[in-house]
Amino acid sequence: MPQVLTANRLSDGEVVYLAADGAWVEDLDAASTLVTKADGEAALATGAEAEQNQQVVQAYLFDVVDALAPLRPIKKREIIRAAGPTVRTDLGKQARV
Amino acid sequence: MYRYDEFDQKLVDERVEQFRGQVARRLSGELTEDQFKPLRLMNGLYLQLHAYMLRVAIPYGTLSSRQLRMLAHIARKYDKGYGHFTTRQNIQYNWPKLADIPDVLADLAMVEMHAIQTSGNCIRNVTSDHFAGASADEVDDPRVWSEIIRQWSTFHPEFSFLPRKFKIAVTAAPKDRAAIKVHDIGIVIRRDASSTLGFDVYVGGGQGRTPFVGHLIGESIAAGDLLAYLEATMRVYNQYGRRDNLYKSRIKILVHQIGADEMRRQVGVEFAEIKSHGALALPQAEIDRIQAYFAAPAFEKLSDETALLASRKKQSKAFAAWHDTNVAKHKVAGYAIATISLKPIGGVPGDASADQMDIVADLAERLSFDEIRVSHEQNLVLAHVRQRDLFDVWQKLDEAGLATANYGLISDIIACPGLDYCDLANARSINVAQAVSKRFADLDRQRNIGELKLKISGCINACGHHHVGHIGVLGVDKKGVEYYQITLGGSGDETASIGDIIGPAFAENEVADAVETLVDTYLGLRQQGERFLDTYRRLGIQPFREKLYAAH
Amino acid sequence: MPLIKNNEFVDSPFKHMADGEALPEGSIIVSLKRWQAERDALMSRNAPLGVRLTADQSPDALGADIHHFALIELEFPKFRDGRGYSWARLLRQRLAYKGEIRAVGDVLRDQWLFMSRCGIDAFEVHPGTRLEDFRAALSEQTVFYQPASDRVRNVLELRHQVRSRSERTLVAAE
Repeated sequence: MPQVLTANRLSDGEVVYLAADGAWVEDLDAASTLVTKADGEAALATGAEAEQNQQVVQAYLFDVVDALAPLRPIKKREIIRAAGPTVRTDLGKQARV
Repeated sequence: MYRYDEFDQKLVDERVEQFRGQVARRLSGELTEDQFKPLRLMNGLYLQLHAYMLRVAIPYGTLSSRQLRMLAHIARKYDKGYGHFTTRQNIQYNWPKLADIPDVLADLAMVEMHAIQTSGNCIRNVTSDHFAGASADEVDDPRVWSEIIRQWSTFHPEFSFLPRKFKIAVTAAPKDRAAIKVHDIGIVIRRDASSTLGFDVYVGGGQGRTPFVGHLIGESIAAGDLLAYLEATMRVYNQYGRRDNLYKSRIKILVHQIGADEMRRQVGVEFAEIKSHGALALPQAEIDRIQAYFAAPAFEKLSDETALLASRKKQSKAFAAWHDTNVAKHKVAGYAIATISLKPIGGVPGDASADQMDIVADLAERLSFDEIRVSHEQNLVLAHVRQRDLFDVWQKLDEAGLATANYGLISDIIACPGLDYCDLANARSINVAQAVSKRFADLDRQRNIGELKLKISGCINACGHHHVGHIGVLGVDKKGVEYYQITLGGSGDETASIGDIIGPAFAENEVADAVETLVDTYLGLRQQGERFLDTYRRLGIQPFREKLYAAH
Repeated sequence: MPLIKNNEFVDSPFKHMADGEALPEGSIIVSLKRWQAERDALMSRNAPLGVRLTADQSPDALGADIHHFALIELEFPKFRDGRGYSWARLLRQRLAYKGEIRAVGDVLRDQWLFMSRCGIDAFEVHPGTRLEDFRAALSEQTVFYQPASDRVRNVLELRHQVRSRSERTLVAAE
């Protein structure tokens, strides 16, 4: 199952995802899908480095159904995290145009 | 209410500067996240699912209008226009930025507020009775003692790295509205035959993974010895509480393992030693000083407005419903205690918008001696409203969506933020609260059911206090799907009990049906005057279990 | 590891001795276990003696011999482990220990003031620690609500202008 690396941005807590070019993006669909175990480990190393550089905190990998857009996390927690609170659809990422 | 003197103010101002320095060192990398985390936790700053979360302390749930307006201002300026009132009488903001927090804390300090020790392994906000100072059944204002304990516990150098968090609650009435028996330390203030105050100290209550009702460890402790007794208890816990297992590190586990008698003995030894040094003896001058802040407001000499209220209730059925449910008797003639429901049908329990906060602040300033209370049941209270002003208050609340006439009824649900917000959650809780609330929207039906405390937690940490719900709901994760375990017969009052698990868990879309079946079972079995809890206690779980699992 | 005492970096003459190691002349620190096993030999030495207590070891274990120790080290294995704060207070208050209490282990900036208030007077700090940071950390808070095991006047005393009972005890014991 492919994975995505996520973290929270240190300065404002925004949920971010690691993109293919090494940037941290706010939109799950712009995230890089990590297919092999080696990809995952490399991403974790990038995450650790970004933590060292005060960019992000708490970087970790989570599973997505497949690499096809739109990316669908397996865990409910990550689905909610990628969108915003289900009880306030006017808040969070889901509310951005 | 308490007002800071120069010392209180300096303490929070210094803390703001200290945290400003800590944030700067974090952002520059001088502090790693691992080093910064306990520091930010001690200032109430969590990292949650979507963002940081700041928990601001509302000591024993008491606020002035000026303070509530500042909370509204913070919601607008630094957050997304709302706040969430919690089961520990605090307020939470769900979207602040780390870089803004020092400014938020500086704004709070301007109105004598802070976020100190609202998280972390330290002594947390001391909670108390939301009817304090207004209810006829209290023997003293428990907030006096809550304030004394708050000060003693703030930046306590010995107890800032405890095995786990520590929660203290204080009540001074036979009817316990502060759930003291499910706190790490719960204090009941009584008076003896000669009217002298005595403090009963219960230790080892708590919810979470292994819920317990507290044991009476210290009986009738004298006022001057209260802090010495608490220090003794904390010292035993700090030394011998478990640190090897996160789930066994609360004081309740220690009491359970060594037994209440041994706990009492060990605390007694420390207590005697601390007393012999005398440093913690509470001077009468300080007790008097703090009591003065909680002196009764300048109540007018009034009579009960029986005729006026009857007339108003005839005019407006909605007002009548609200008066019957949300207004409680005040100890002074002509006054009343009004509960402001933050549980609109289908709404998010405990949430209030900045505009709503301002409206409540205005009402409090004008019509309730400038005081607002936050209850651990996630409602607000105006404790000193003249009966003749109740209609006016109700109208303003109604315009603002704050007049749901459901205090203590089934739709007055306590729910933690759950998986919609919280990093620790296994399941969502708010959606379940909304479904149940909508199912029972009909107010006449709710009133017929009567008092029914429904409490929902999204994980075993039990921030929704489900263990002490008459009906408790615990969200769990079963192979990636949200399921809900139901418990019955819990209570947080002076008859404290932990709810019993009824059976296999329910899917999200089954919970409202399940609750309805339980309610119908009660209605079919109840005797005259029995609440849900009473019928359950009389009959036990069997009839409920049978009906519930026959139907589902 | 750098050692701070009295707001200065100081050298420590004490050598840490492992449990089986042969003992040299001079000041040494041993584990509680070793002291319990070799008490008589250690007590008869002609040089200052120190003992290192782990976080789960109460100073009560030193019994009536406590005043023989010039130094007691309290270990903080992880900064989150706060048992040492109570051990320090126990040492100063109940046991009236007058020697050096040294915090060792994961001893970080934001614990120094709390440690100092509990009666710890020496700090084994992480390499790279700057003295000005130590001094700054100890003065970041000047208002103290509760009595502890230090000499600061707490708020109750200041409010009501009462001489600290703990201060009186400390003075009387000297």
